[in-house]
Amino acid sequence: MTSVRALRNRILLFFLLLLFWIVLTASLALHELVMGAVCSAFVGVLTVSLLGRALDPRITPAVLLRIPVFMLRLAWEIVKANIDVAKIILNPRLPIDPRIVEYRTYLPGDLPRTVFSDSITLTPGTVTVELRGEVLNVHCLCPYHEEGLPGLERLVAWLFGVRKPVGEEGNG
Amino acid sequence: MAKDIVAGIFCCVGTLFFIIGTTGLLRMPDLFTRLHPSTKCDTLGACSVIVGMAVHNGWSWDLLKLAFIVCFLLLSSATCGHAIGRSALRRNIPYWKKKEANEDGHGA
Repeated sequence: MTSVRALRNRILLFFLLLLFWIVLTASLALHELVMGAVCSAFVGVLTVSLLGRALDPRITPAVLLRIPVFMLRLAWEIVKANIDVAKIILNPRLPIDPRIVEYRTYLPGDLPRTVFSDSITLTPGTVTVELRGEVLNVHCLCPYHEEGLPGLERLVAWLFGVRKPVGEEGNG
Repeated sequence: MAKDIVAGIFCCVGTLFFIIGTTGLLRMPDLFTRLHPSTKCDTLGACSVIVGMAVHNGWSWDLLKLAFIVCFLLLSSATCGHAIGRSALRRNIPYWKKKEANEDGHGA
């Protein structure tokens, strides 16, 4: 079972690298494809021998398909927050009240947490300054920026198909 | 013609956000708050300029390359902002607080 999954991950990594190659070379000529396949296989073998695995097991084709939708929804959040922060910066009184809040996330594993903290940092008004275990320290420009965190967390949970464990109340 | 106008609007909006971000960088009081305008520049400013370039360019392979540039830009910007904030936190650099909230002016 595990070897089947490992094999599937390697094949997925190979095709991702090949796709990247095709985009960079911008041609579908046969000699380019063969060269790309050779290079992708080489990089794939190198990755497996260096890291011990091809891809994080959480990266599945379903997750890859959801990434464009995820990025669009994240972009919408970023645009909203950007306009908000622009108003704060252009306000002559500079109405900021920064603080570092602790946020306890229910997302399991390194990869979803990393994606979550990256999303937080990309959203203006909040920067993840520390990530230790399941506790994130988030620097907020204004106290109400903290309110956007559960929404982002839900978005990342949706991307990785994680459900919020029931019976756990009171995040953060 | 219409394509040029739309591309121009996107590039202008991007430049505007770069200007606002730089203004914020100069106005903010300390390191942590300065991280916020800098991530702002990268996200909406650079992305908007790149969208403008994509509109100007039309449908071609270069569109996918621009999409990859956006992805790498966002990944590196978020990682870099996090790294700066984290090293500042680990060195116990106090963060700026509003005067009313804390009289001695030092963070946790």
